[in-house]
Amino acid sequence: MIKRLLPFLALLTLFVTLSIASPSFLTSQNLSSVVRQTAVFNTLALGMTLIIISGGIDLSVGSIVALGGLGGTMAMAKGVPIPLGVLLGIATGLLCGLLNGILITQLRIIPFIVTLGMMGVLRGFALIISDGMPVHDVPKGFQFLGEGTVFGFPFVLVVLIACAALVHFILEHTRLGRYVFAIGSNAEAAVYAGIPVNFHTVAIYALCGGLAGLAGLIEASRLSTGQPTAGQGYELQAIAAVVIGGGSLRGGEGTVIGTLVGGFIMGLLANGSDLLGINPYVQQALIGAMIIVFVAVDEFRKRRVPS
Amino acid sequence: MLLQMKGVEKRFGGVTALRQGDLEIRAGEVHLVMGENGAGKSTMMKIIAGMQKRDGGAMIWQGQTVDFENPKQAAQMGIAMVHQESLLAPHLSVAENIFLGREIPGPLGTVNRRKMLAEAARLIAQYGFRLQADWMVGRLSPAGKQLVEICRAIQNGTSLLIFDEPTSSLSEAETHEVFRIVRELRERGTGVIYITHRMEELRSVGDRVTILRDGATVHTEALATLTRDRMIQYMVGRAVNSIYSREPLPPGEPLLTVTGVSTPSLLRHVSLTLRAGEIVGLGGLMGAGRTELCRAIFGLDPVSSGSVEVAGRPLALRNPREAVAAGVALIPEDRQRTGLARDLPIGWNVTLANLDAVSPGGVIRHPEEERVTREAIDRLRIRCENGRQRAGRLSGGNQQKVVISKWVNRGARVFLFDEPTRGIDVGAKVEVFAVMDELARQGAAILMVSSELPELLQVADRILVMSQGHLVGELPRGCSQEDIMRLATAPPESGDLLQ
Repeated sequence: MIKRLLPFLALLTLFVTLSIASPSFLTSQNLSSVVRQTAVFNTLALGMTLIIISGGIDLSVGSIVALGGLGGTMAMAKGVPIPLGVLLGIATGLLCGLLNGILITQLRIIPFIVTLGMMGVLRGFALIISDGMPVHDVPKGFQFLGEGTVFGFPFVLVVLIACAALVHFILEHTRLGRYVFAIGSNAEAAVYAGIPVNFHTVAIYALCGGLAGLAGLIEASRLSTGQPTAGQGYELQAIAAVVIGGGSLRGGEGTVIGTLVGGFIMGLLANGSDLLGINPYVQQALIGAMIIVFVAVDEFRKRRVPS
Repeated sequence: MLLQMKGVEKRFGGVTALRQGDLEIRAGEVHLVMGENGAGKSTMMKIIAGMQKRDGGAMIWQGQTVDFENPKQAAQMGIAMVHQESLLAPHLSVAENIFLGREIPGPLGTVNRRKMLAEAARLIAQYGFRLQADWMVGRLSPAGKQLVEICRAIQNGTSLLIFDEPTSSLSEAETHEVFRIVRELRERGTGVIYITHRMEELRSVGDRVTILRDGATVHTEALATLTRDRMIQYMVGRAVNSIYSREPLPPGEPLLTVTGVSTPSLLRHVSLTLRAGEIVGLGGLMGAGRTELCRAIFGLDPVSSGSVEVAGRPLALRNPREAVAAGVALIPEDRQRTGLARDLPIGWNVTLANLDAVSPGGVIRHPEEERVTREAIDRLRIRCENGRQRAGRLSGGNQQKVVISKWVNRGARVFLFDEPTRGIDVGAKVEVFAVMDELARQGAAILMVSSELPELLQVADRILVMSQGHLVGELPRGCSQEDIMRLATAPPESGDLLQ
């Protein structure tokens, strides 16, 4: 129980502290901007949650952000309608993830290596197809995805909640989700139980890729350009969000709620440092240190209470 | 008196591994430590060798109380251990392994390889081992690795040497080799603790024996005066013939037919038939191919020739999925590694192999899953708080029941039990046997691999024996341990230490 509580308490403490410390924190404008700023890596983190629970890792999602954004914006620049462009961006990401999954299961190379390689391959591919140039020719309406508002809430929040609900449902209520836990907890036992492990592994990498494609579109929408250099380093932020939220890189552990809380903790740390005028160099160090602190506390807790 | 252990205790989380460990070792004696799996032998030895810290009791070494923080401290005091499972670095040479952690230094913080090789060669020659100092350990057979472990332990002024079942993976000739070493050590005044399940082979070397049961020392006596029957009685805590006995059924139709199965690595033309209602034992020495046969039938290892039929339908033998779909279940030897998802709830383990039944359309019906879990817990009498408890928190016997319940829930009809009672206590063993008997009565066919001969004799309707990849014979119910051993050791071993 305390495991689920700890990130929540940290988020709450952070929220209350910032509300008191800075008058401009608790304004709808500021909170909206936190949501918009964190939307991209929060979306990535949702897919990463599935991967990490399965005992894997996906380092290529940052590159997929660029490729998904480019896929969508290049199509829209050629006159493809916005919804279709968005679908194309998501499909691009899905294909990249599919490739990750197929390479991991067929070549039997560990996910770290495959996705490390794919991080470079996909980034290179994004630079090649765009010739290194950003796509500026994006329809105005596309900005709604990242910057639009519905009933006073940022539209990306609606998108994020929808994605979170989907991933939560998959994890907690479907066969796929159960197998993700089983594979992450004991892959060999899963094979012995007759579970089609390869099929389900490919499925979650594809799903993670699709979510990364969507994240790429959100990024492109916020910048109103498709950038071949977008999303660099985002994979690490996504991993950090999952880990802060209680996910274990050893597999078998993690929740969607925890991941979102982890993502918002990182978002609030960045936002709070900005508001309080903490130098951005210190900010980086601070967020890095937080990751270690959270995981250390979690490990300590696990050691005290025998599994 | 070399060593005294008085009322030593050790707990792991909520599980008490040792509650009253008493042991006295004299210099120059060979002291056997016996007991069922889980009796606390290994735990006590690990405490003596500094690998684990005791939670209570006293440990007196050569007259003074000691607390070892790590094996190195124990080694400095002259205590060393030869491990049952090899704790060697496979990518290093024999010499490097012998000197691991206490390398002979060269100039400027380097390691003097030449001297280490020479020293290792001298040690090997001194004891007449068939090893070479520059061989890569990863290429050695289990027996070869065992010899390296022994070299490691005896290399420097050891006064107490602990052997943890050193002969379980060794051939006849190699076993005698180990005995020769034990005798030599005793003559030099070294104390030897020898853990074994096979007491008879040690009658010739052992001096005294201490027996543990359920985490406590129950008896110590000179080996010469202790009869086998009394020893077993001390080990199990009740009269021998009441442990377990099963009334065999008339066998039904054939459920599993294995015809001429060979694998590239080990198996040679193995054929057998299991019928509904039968429990067939599979005996043999370690490495005879029993586990490999189970793995081949289950589709885990490639098969070079032969076929397997389940209820008349051939299995493709490509992956476990097909075997599972055909109704075959494997309860693996290594429960922790391959049988159980320890971090997941009991219920999730129970439904793992048959999740489709509670998740129509891919969506799990949680109430249905809970109902299935409760049924499984009741039916196999799994002792737990509830189905949401993590499977890894259960005792060994209850973990094994969870693994079995996964297959019962799947509706499997052919059960391959590979060492089903390994690491579980006596009471739980009987319960596991009762479950197997019940499965057989409901029409399942069961193959039971066991290295514990009394178990095979009590539970199996007939006993098949393997040796070096061959099925070498079949024995009826009522045969003796000696009959099994005679078959198991039938073809002479080639004696190669290099695989």
